[in-house]
Amino acid sequence: MPSTLADLEIATFAIDEIVEGTQTGRSDRRLSVSLPQLAVGAGHPALAEATVEVVRPGDPVRITNVLDAVLPSVKAEDPAGTFPGVLGPLAHAGRGRTNRLDGVAVLSVCNWEASGHAEAGTFPDAFVDMAGPGAGLSPYGGTVNMVLRFRPSEGAPVAEADRAIRIETLRVARDLAAITLGDDPDGIAPVRLPQPGESDSSLPAVAVILQVASEGPLLDTLLYGEPLGGLVPTLLDPREVVDGALTNGAYDWAGVRNHTATYQRATLVRELLAGHGDRLRFAGLILALGYLDTARQKQRSAMLSARLAEQLGADGVVCTTFSSGNSHTDTMLTVRACERLGIRATALVCETNGGLTDHVPEADCLVSTGNEDELVEPWTPGRIVGSDGPGRAGERVPTWSYLGACVQTGDERWTAAPA
Amino acid sequence: MDGGARMTVAHYLNQFFAGLGGEEHAGQEPVRLDGPTGPGRGLAAAGLSVDVTLVCGDDRFGEHEDASLATLLGWLDELRPDVLVCGPSFGSGRYGYACGVLAREAGRRGIPVVAAMTPDSPGVIAAEGAAYVVPTGSSVAAMRETLPVVASLASRLAAGDAIGAPEDEGYLPRGLRRNVLSDRSGAARAIDMLLAKLAGDVRTEVVPTADRVPPPPALADASDATVALVTEAGCVPQGNPDRLPSRHANVWLRYPLDGVDSLTADGYGTVHAGFDTTAANADPNRLVPLDAARRLEAEGSIGRLHDAFYTTSGVDTPVATAATFGREIAEELISSGVQAVILTGT
Repeated sequence: MPSTLADLEIATFAIDEIVEGTQTGRSDRRLSVSLPQLAVGAGHPALAEATVEVVRPGDPVRITNVLDAVLPSVKAEDPAGTFPGVLGPLAHAGRGRTNRLDGVAVLSVCNWEASGHAEAGTFPDAFVDMAGPGAGLSPYGGTVNMVLRFRPSEGAPVAEADRAIRIETLRVARDLAAITLGDDPDGIAPVRLPQPGESDSSLPAVAVILQVASEGPLLDTLLYGEPLGGLVPTLLDPREVVDGALTNGAYDWAGVRNHTATYQRATLVRELLAGHGDRLRFAGLILALGYLDTARQKQRSAMLSARLAEQLGADGVVCTTFSSGNSHTDTMLTVRACERLGIRATALVCETNGGLTDHVPEADCLVSTGNEDELVEPWTPGRIVGSDGPGRAGERVPTWSYLGACVQTGDERWTAAPA
Repeated sequence: MDGGARMTVAHYLNQFFAGLGGEEHAGQEPVRLDGPTGPGRGLAAAGLSVDVTLVCGDDRFGEHEDASLATLLGWLDELRPDVLVCGPSFGSGRYGYACGVLAREAGRRGIPVVAAMTPDSPGVIAAEGAAYVVPTGSSVAAMRETLPVVASLASRLAAGDAIGAPEDEGYLPRGLRRNVLSDRSGAARAIDMLLAKLAGDVRTEVVPTADRVPPPPALADASDATVALVTEAGCVPQGNPDRLPSRHANVWLRYPLDGVDSLTADGYGTVHAGFDTTAANADPNRLVPLDAARRLEAEGSIGRLHDAFYTTSGVDTPVATAATFGREIAEELISSGVQAVILTGT
């Protein structure tokens, strides 16, 4: 069936260099960006300062205090409507063409402790190494990164400062991608949602349960710009996920942090769509909270997610996990709840030196996204970006320090093997 | 072997393989010999030149483990070898156990160790993953095929080279989990495994540890028991004088309870990063129930409250670290004569 206007398509533009220039423009795979034109941080009273720096694979640089990573994207027919609810007005994401840069990421960086917005020791390390033994751990060790370093205004409410940072990061991501408007892409990938009954009903129906968490400012996941705290499990059009409806504002454990780019990539959804009609039927996506506070909340959410999967007609589900420790219990209870309704389940989990924080017997089909506690050999970067501190130079660093290394959404290839 | 600094290789054997005698000499005290002996010559033929051979009788090690181990480790501390080879001990239980214990202790001192024994040898368990154990057949007939594998692993460990996966290198998995790049995304693997499961073929990449702790028998008489308070709730004296981390704690701490009847909000609080601590800080007895325990002690429901409480903060603590904390605290409590613990979690 040909793609209709209502479907989403991602037009990709391969980029392997970003340079500062007097004019903003593109020449083949090279972007030239005028920083004054970009005016990062302007017009936000909650931000005292914003600096921009491009770092490249192989640079002797460790980026620290990384908050989020965003794939530069813009709505081709309606640039102002990009990232609806945050930048654009509230309207459905997931329709029409989105231009996206490949090989490039926008990274937001902020040291909340230095600006007095968090007590010392609140936030664990969040690194991207562009060289050295940890360079392969974060996917952003291999991309050209536009690093936006923010310093919140003294005394600005933390939620205000964070909101300004998130807006500016998404805006820069949009404006970088907007350089491609009107150009021919290197590739076009349709993200087409199957219609009910259009494929062989003997194929197994598979749903996704996408776990997110939202525990307050600096720990929120946002849907159309609004925090998801209190969410009961809900259906979500996966095209909306791919197209920027879900964004990250949670800055806990970097290695297992669902950052904005993981939602944009949505490898699990895209793999399921690729297999749809061939070896499976894609049944839909359920958005559910993890990291819930109480046993009753966890059980309730697991129960409701499983019931939604049943209503979707799912024979099987893939459960993703947000962060680790506490949320592994949410994942395990969700697996159990699905299995009890006769829905076969698998889950993506990271390991903690060979252990799991929680496990149920029904979780007999687990994908390992790596050992978040494995130590990485010491490295002394030539330069630290994002902090005036030593950035653990010369120390062994746990894998969980690297943004996205063990992310449990299925986007990465790391796993753990016996040794 | 590279042309750099000469490496030092130590080799552990029992009395029999060292040529000091059979079963009648199993009481042989630890002895240190220069150069290779017995299977050590086979190692040399396979490219690993042994400098020092350490020997202990099987019964001697079994019956005087602490003393024998102390002597052997003393020599290792002095030699600081680049690698230690233990055995092969094949199917021998006592010899395998001695190899495993020595391998574990040397491994924990940072000495790379290669041992060789049958997979069901007690030495495999005793080594606790601190050594590379090459699996062998049960009889000495396996010597010829074993020594080259041992020599190759040992040479490369001594040179500081990376060692590959167990199935590629021919050693038993040590219980460690190392990060490796799959050729496919987690998503693609998850879908394959789910479809296989739906077709009746259940596979997993993560096998949870079978470490289930059976509850001990109930106290026969609590009024006669010494009871200790232990918590992972991050309870510490105000000001956190010993800097207990809020998360990913790498220590547990002990604080005295002599003469303390209740944990006041002025004196104690929590540094735990995993929950809203407002209520707990208002009454730290809800973290460590000292007030209630003192009442039970006063009315005779429990014999005596142990004179200290034990604390850490259990937030994203690696399972292996938590298990170590548990073992260390339990050992101290047992040696202090404690019979029961009230463990408060968050």
